[in-house]
Formats: sequence, C-alpha cells, structure tokens
Amino acid sequence: MKLTFAYWGNYTLAFNKLIERLGFEYIPPEDTNSTSIKEGAKLSPEMFCLPLKVNIGNYLSAIKNGADTILMWENIGGSCRLRYYWVVQEKTLRDAGYDIKVINLNSRNLFSKLREISKDKIHPLRFLRAILSFFRDIRFIDKLEEKTNYLRPREKNKGDTEKILKMALERFREVRNKKELASLQRDAWNKFSQIKTDRKRMILRLGVIGEVYTISDDKVNFELDKKLGEMGVEVHRELNLVQHLISGFFWKEKMLQKKVNQYLKTTVGGHGRQAIAEMLDYSKKGFDGVIQILPFGCMPEVTVRPILQKISQEKRIPFLSISLDEQTAEAGIQTRLEAFVDLMKSRHTQLKSNHAYNSI
Amino acid sequence: MSSSKRKKPIIGIPQALFYWKNPFFWEEFFKNLGFEVVLSPKTNKEIVEKGVRIADPETCFSVKILFGHLLFLEDRVDSIFIPRLKTKETHSQNLYSKSENILEYCPKFFGIPDVAKILLKTEILTLTLDERKEKLKKSLKIFAKKITKNFRGVDIKGSIEKAFSVANQNEKEREESFSQKMKSEKKKIILISHPYNLYDEYANIGIKKKIERLGGEPIFIDEIPLTSISSLSPRFHWEFGEEIMRKINNILKNYDVAGAIEISAFQCGCDAVLKEFVEREFKKNKIPFLYLMIDEHTGEAGFQTRLEAFFDTLR
Repeated sequence: MKLTFAYWGNYTLAFNKLIERLGFEYIPPEDTNSTSIKEGAKLSPEMFCLPLKVNIGNYLSAIKNGADTILMWENIGGSCRLRYYWVVQEKTLRDAGYDIKVINLNSRNLFSKLREISKDKIHPLRFLRAILSFFRDIRFIDKLEEKTNYLRPREKNKGDTEKILKMALERFREVRNKKELASLQRDAWNKFSQIKTDRKRMILRLGVIGEVYTISDDKVNFELDKKLGEMGVEVHRELNLVQHLISGFFWKEKMLQKKVNQYLKTTVGGHGRQAIAEMLDYSKKGFDGVIQILPFGCMPEVTVRPILQKISQEKRIPFLSISLDEQTAEAGIQTRLEAFVDLMKSRHTQLKSNHAYNSI
Repeated sequence: MSSSKRKKPIIGIPQALFYWKNPFFWEEFFKNLGFEVVLSPKTNKEIVEKGVRIADPETCFSVKILFGHLLFLEDRVDSIFIPRLKTKETHSQNLYSKSENILEYCPKFFGIPDVAKILLKTEILTLTLDERKEKLKKSLKIFAKKITKNFRGVDIKGSIEKAFSVANQNEKEREESFSQKMKSEKKKIILISHPYNLYDEYANIGIKKKIERLGGEPIFIDEIPLTSISSLSPRFHWEFGEEIMRKINNILKNYDVAGAIEISAFQCGCDAVLKEFVEREFKKNKIPFLYLMIDEHTGEAGFQTRLEAFFDTLR
C-alpha cells in the first residue's frame, strides 16, 4: 500500500513528515501547477468547487508514480461540501478507471483508522508524538510565512526575503527532530534580521480573508502573498492551518459568534463567520484594505460576501473579492491586484494628509 | 395607534425557496394568529431580473429568485417573514441514532435572514428552526407568543395545529395523486429537484407541461412515498439529500419508470454533490437520465430540444 494525499501549499512538507513519522510508505504529492489543475478539472464533476478538482490533479500525478491509496479529510462537523470530498473523489477516480481507495479521516476516527491501515499497528504514544511534532511543524511554517510577508515589502534588494524562505523550506525537508527544527529557526531568523530594509518606504497593510485552502496555498492563489509583497503590501493572514484546526473548540466558537453577532446570527459553514470577524478586526486595526479569496461558488464565503461588502461600506475599508476556478488566469489576478493596491495607496495618502491637516 | 380598531399588521411571505419546503403552512400560520398575509406573486421575469441584480452573482439561482420576491414585497408590507431553517428531525425507524436523525438544511438557508436584513429596508421577521436544540412545535409556540404580544384572545395552540393540518392535507393529496399517476399508461418520468425548483414554473421553464405535451407522465420526487429504509452510502447530512436518495431507492425497487430528469439551479453547491449519486443510481438500473441546469439565461428553445432528444432515447 502506497499512500498519497493532496498538495496544500507549504503545509505539504509538514504532512509528508507526519505520514513518515507514522511509518507509512507514501508518495509525496507533486506541486500543484496549471497542468495538474487542468487534468484534475477534466475528470471532476463540473459544478464542484475548485479544491476538489485541484486535489484530483494532485492524485493523478501521484498515481502515475505508484500511489494506490489516498488519505482525505472528512469534515464531519462542517456544513460545506468538504464533507463529501472523499466519496466524490473516489467515485471520480474509479469512474476514470483507476483502482484507487480513498480513506476518509475525520476527527473521530483519525487514530483508529490510521492504526487499522498501518502494518505495525501504531502505538498511541507514537501517534501522539507525531501529532505534536506535526503541530510544531505547521507552526514553524506559519511563522516563516508571516515573517516573509512582513519583510517582503520592506526589503531593499528585491528577492532577498524570498531566497531565505526558499532556503528555510528546503532545509526543513531534512529536519528530523525538535532540536534540528529549533536550530533551523534560529538560523533562518538570524538571516531574516540581516535583510536590509528601506525604512522610508510607504507600507500598506492588508488583511487576506476567505477560505483556508485557497488563501494559504500559493500555487492555487497565484502567489498572492508574493505579488502583493512586491507591490509594497504587508499581507496579514489570520486564518491558517493551526487556527483552522482549533476553531472547532466550543469556546472558540462562542467567542467568534459574539464578534459577528451584529451581522450574522449563525454559522454558515466553512469559514464564513471567521471572514466577518477578521474583516471587523482588520478595520479596527486601521488596515488599508481587505481581500477575500474563495473558490468560485464556495457556499459559506458566497453567503457572507454581501455582509463583507456592507462592512466595507460602513467602516470605509477597501474590499476586493477574488473567486478562483480552473479558468482563472494569472494576468487577470495581477491586474486586479495592481488596481486595488493603487486604490489603497491613494486612500492611504489621503487619510494621512487629512490627518496632518486635522492635527495642525 | 390611538384608534380602537387597530389595523392588522401585514406580513409578507415570498413564494420562493423555503416557502416550497412547506407550502401553505406559513400563510395559514400567520392568518390564524390574526395577521394579514401578503404572498409575493408567482415568479416572473421582472422578479428574476430584480433578484439577479441584488443578490451575490455567485450564489445559486434559487437564492437569486428569492431576493427578487423579497424586493417585490419591499414597501408593500410591514414586515417580511424569512425563517432561518437550520436542522430538521427525520425518522428512519431505528436505522440511525437519534442525533443522527437530525439533518441540516443547505448552509445558504442559515444566513439568508441576515443577508436580507442588509439588502432590504423593510423589517425582517425571522424565526430559527433548529431541532438539534428545540422541537419544531415548541419553537413555533414561543415565536407565536412573541409576535402576538399585543393581540387579544389568540389561540396559539389551535392556530399551530390548524396550520399543520392544512399542510398535512396538502401532503395527503400529493400521495393520492402519486398512486393515480402510477396507474397511468404513459411513460413515467421522475423529476428530481428541490421543491422550490419543481413548483416554480417560471424557474423550471414549465417542464411539467412540456413533459405532458411530449406524452410523458411527470412525477415529482416529493410525491413519492418515503418507505424505503435501507441504509445509504454515503448518507447525506442534508435533509433533502437523504430524502431524495431514499425516494429514489423506493421507486427503483417497487415501481417501473421510463426515465429520470434532475433539475439543478446553477451554482447549487449541494446538487454538485448529490448529482453524482443520483445519476449513479439510475445508471446502475439502466434508466435514461437527463441533467438540466437552470439559471437566468436558460432559453426555452434549448430546453425543449434537449427534452425531445431525451424522449427519443426512452423505450
């Protein structure tokens, strides 16, 4: 049995490690690219959301390399389509003639299912240790991306930050334990601190909200963070994999509902409420704009979009919503981002001069 | 108001989306409680155009239609009623545990009252129906008490019972018409969709009449009795998904049908999942299956051609 799973941005490295630590034989998914998206979309149900099609594309290349079993998360608590990804993916691949099994993992069966399919019956302690390391790994990736997003608009020599990010991710592949991770982090942070920055540059602060997969996978969102960073925008993403995983706890949910109660009285599945809460938060912090990224037709995100637009009007914060599907072209995204950054820039300068005027 | 003859408050109910989940119930409910009820008219071109303009462009066609109806009611009524449909209890005769019998509505239904509040000026009257937390009748009772605070001598319990009996009568009639239709000699065509697509003749471009004209006997999926209790794989957590799959099981096991047509509103997220399994059931049984998508651009001629071609494939 050779496992594989879907590619998910830089987190894929952490998933690779998790599967390895649990002692499975696996084929790491290849990076998502435009060909794999196209191949995936060809087989997938037309009306399904983009992530499913991208996943299928990832599986196809892994199957070519010998994978025969797929691990897919089943979102049993949520109201959105992610719940049915695994069945639909299995059906899609089988209909296309691949002899493939998709294993559904969810919050209830995670351990028992993994134990069932493992050859040497995973010991609970080993499992626990692997999960803890996994959280450490994704926390590291999140921090790394955060740091990059902060430095990218400030760097004097274009590309300095990117080089360190690439280096750190490359070295992260080889990291075996906690100690090595700590030393890698120290080293990377040290290098980050040596980047020459331009202190006079006007830096815009922007919040990215929306669906967790599309906002954090740079291969799907056309390197959104990098594009914006190079335009002088400091990108903030509050929603990441850690936040996504812990958002199910009931006190988290209560707090979230309290934040958005004025606009939405209930969950709408997915990260609908998070999007509203984050947007309110960004506007309170005086950000220059908010971008929502979603797969085309994503049920929760589409439901809350009129509310986000309302907040944008009320709080006077620029808002751009970008829907992604297999036909989205990079050039179109680039143009829209440039126009939006121009808008934020002029608003930023205007607010600043107004402020100066008022304080005289 | 100073005069002793206080005018009855007018409640507007859109004849779209949730209305068709339980037709006649809500108007009966409010009338019995002493309100005046205004229903929006049947969907028409103007309503669709209005709805398309105001609703989010990526939301499903059915929600766009709903917003058209809401805009029609705007300024004509004191308040517009939109329930927040969250979960519903179903009965599967010991097949599943009690908590597993509580199924969800489409997530778009959850947020509609809030979005309507933002897009409309008229007051929105809403009531959350969540059987995971509270029984349907209890929610109705509390809601009725709240909105009839200023009324005198309202029989709340009686009003609710009466509304249920009207809705049940409607269901009985549907079942009777089903057994009538099954006796027919014509080619029986199962129409699979949500009630708000099936009963909205403008949205589905009069598919019922079109099938009749082509010599078929259209049978709506919700007319089929819910008897099959075999466990399903996958089991849907959406109330309509579970119901539709069980009804399909029933019809395939116990009746003889010529073909099946599934109608989906464009951008219906739930149907994207459901379609895969509905289609599989009919394909397994070698029954011709046609999938039609409806949206604001659907043309009558194209629809007719596809139906005619479909009829040619029927035995």
